[in-house]
Amino acid sequence: MNMKLVGGAALSLATLLVLTSCGSGDGGSGSGSGDQASSGGEVTLKMVAADYGDGPGKPNSGETFWKGVVDEFQAANPGIKVDVQVINWNDIDKQVATMVQNGQVPDILQTGDYSGFVKDGLLYKTDEVLSPNVSGDLLQKFADFGKVDGTAYGIPFVSSARAMFYNKDLFSKAGISEPPKTWDELKAAAEKLKAAGVTQPFGLPLGQEEAQGESFLWMLGNGGGYKDASGKWAINSPQNVETFTYMKGLVDAGLTTPNPGTKDRKTVWEDFGAGKVGMVNGGPMSIPIFDAAGLKNYGVAPIPGKSGPLDTTLGVMDWIMAFNKNGHAAEIKKFFDFFYTGNAAQKISDTYKLLPVTNGGIEKLSGDEKLKPFLDALPNASFYPFQDPKWAEVNPAIKQTIGGAVKEDPAKVLGELQKVAEAG
Amino acid sequence: MRRLRALEPLAWVGPAVVLIAVVVLWPVIEMIRSSFLKISRFGVVQGGNGWANYEKLVNEKDFADIMLRSVIWVVAVVVLTVLVSLALAQLFNQRFPLRKVARWALIAPWAASVLMTAIIFKWMLDPEVGVINQIRLKLGLIDAMGGAAADQLGDASTAMPWLVFVAVFVSVPFTTYALLAGLATIPGDVYEAARMDGAGRLRTYWSVTLPLLRPALTVAALINMMNVFNSFPIIWAMTHGQPGYSTATSTILMFILKSSDIGESAAMSVVNFGMVVVLTVIFLRVSRWNKEVA
Repeated sequence: MNMKLVGGAALSLATLLVLTSCGSGDGGSGSGSGDQASSGGEVTLKMVAADYGDGPGKPNSGETFWKGVVDEFQAANPGIKVDVQVINWNDIDKQVATMVQNGQVPDILQTGDYSGFVKDGLLYKTDEVLSPNVSGDLLQKFADFGKVDGTAYGIPFVSSARAMFYNKDLFSKAGISEPPKTWDELKAAAEKLKAAGVTQPFGLPLGQEEAQGESFLWMLGNGGGYKDASGKWAINSPQNVETFTYMKGLVDAGLTTPNPGTKDRKTVWEDFGAGKVGMVNGGPMSIPIFDAAGLKNYGVAPIPGKSGPLDTTLGVMDWIMAFNKNGHAAEIKKFFDFFYTGNAAQKISDTYKLLPVTNGGIEKLSGDEKLKPFLDALPNASFYPFQDPKWAEVNPAIKQTIGGAVKEDPAKVLGELQKVAEAG
Repeated sequence: MRRLRALEPLAWVGPAVVLIAVVVLWPVIEMIRSSFLKISRFGVVQGGNGWANYEKLVNEKDFADIMLRSVIWVVAVVVLTVLVSLALAQLFNQRFPLRKVARWALIAPWAASVLMTAIIFKWMLDPEVGVINQIRLKLGLIDAMGGAAADQLGDASTAMPWLVFVAVFVSVPFTTYALLAGLATIPGDVYEAARMDGAGRLRTYWSVTLPLLRPALTVAALINMMNVFNSFPIIWAMTHGQPGYSTATSTILMFILKSSDIGESAAMSVVNFGMVVVLTVIFLRVSRWNKEVA
């Protein structure tokens, strides 16, 4: 027996174990419960928040933003400490899930969804942690989405809406006088742009990053959506199939981003910023990306629908919520009231171009020209069916596969997604 | 005193054993346990789930395709890596000017982060600005930038070869060095004996070098196999497994499932683990690793 071989085999076996276990390692970094009351009856609130900025070290990082808010709050409220852990959007859901799985929930969580925590009784009701004058100022339609079975648990944090951006220089080069309002006009404009040498007349990101948003905007243009009026899943409704058949026509004619099912929103926005895209759906949060790329001469218009511009748009909102595991309702209430009545909400809109969720906040921003189309659209926005527990499974499936509906048979691809929604 | 003496080895191996138990074994047990639990996307454990996670996994529409693709992916990358590395190792074993520099240069793809390499290739293949497409444009292989023809990562038939290429690119340095070390252990006199017996160059390589290289080759291929099977960053950074699941391997599916159903994702991990063990056993059988060289 060759000793070297035995050693090698043992080494490989150890490597095998290490490598295979890598795949399942959880990236959790939750640390302890928030119940570390130190001397003098001081209470520490542990908070987990998503990063709206460009990451650690950048001037607009979540750490910097929250430090400003917390310092001010702590100065006004001696006896309460707030310990904020900022996590980027890609990891926050998985890391919070790990915290919950291990029973180490924070006191306050700010992220994209709240609904999954409600059923197991993990959250405080909104009226236990928010003063009536604050909750009364929240946009009614938004606040309603924070309710499960009539009781509010999620507090709207920030919101966003969508509209169509178009490159004015490319439009005049192609001889288009005004942005399209209908699908026919959109196709005609795209053909002119193509003839003028624009590689992506319409930017169509149906890749993993946000396929569910782009698809929803198109569905709305034909009176469709993920659910029908009675609240049943209707992903493969005739309207939606017609919508994707139309989109497939654009793709086949080379009038869009190539292979939309593999393209992320951010990439297409960057291409728009670089002047390679004629039209693209975007939101306030895409403005900094266009600015950074140096694009100045662009306009914002309502999104074209089949027979006229959309009278509604996709509204997206993020949430803040309070976990009841550690008590601390009184302290959390102080912090929430401070956040919504002070200038913190305004600061978040200024820094990140996100839209406010309160009537007061919208009033304060109404002077901003670039934000106006989005603010106007907010009160009549449509939302993902995220309160349906199935959405948690349908959403990743849409992100992964809906791009196939503009490459293969639309009815078949949408039908598969409908099956996912109806299963179980 | 004597008994204490007998316990001495434990003090030396103890820390390593504890480390392996905590860092390797415990997560494996947790993983297997999770695969039998019903866990919501939000991390709430909702009780036992029997084999339901596995049933759901196996019934995923793309599951069979993904498992088959994973095996093809491993075989393709490992075979190509080994072939390229055998040639490179032979080359780098010769004496030539600046050999040291060349050997150092070979380390670069290994030393760079795999994720970074993958992102660099993704941008080089970008349909609008990618340098590879600009070269193809100059060579007349494509008509214009920006169209579907310039978008090789957008279609599985052209994306898969690029993914394999990048995986080979980052695996070659380690494999080459392992084989170089193997070549260095072959004594000069066996070559002399071969020459005396009148063996030609090819014959010498086939009958002397390769058999003597087998221990190094086995270890290198085995480590590569496990590494490639679990390889995540290359595919994730370059295609996210898209379009659809058509460039996804089982590791990618495991990650995607994690955002919808943690229990099912754990079941995928367990299947992955089993696959690696099976592939390893098959490989060791085929390569007869523990048989003495004839």
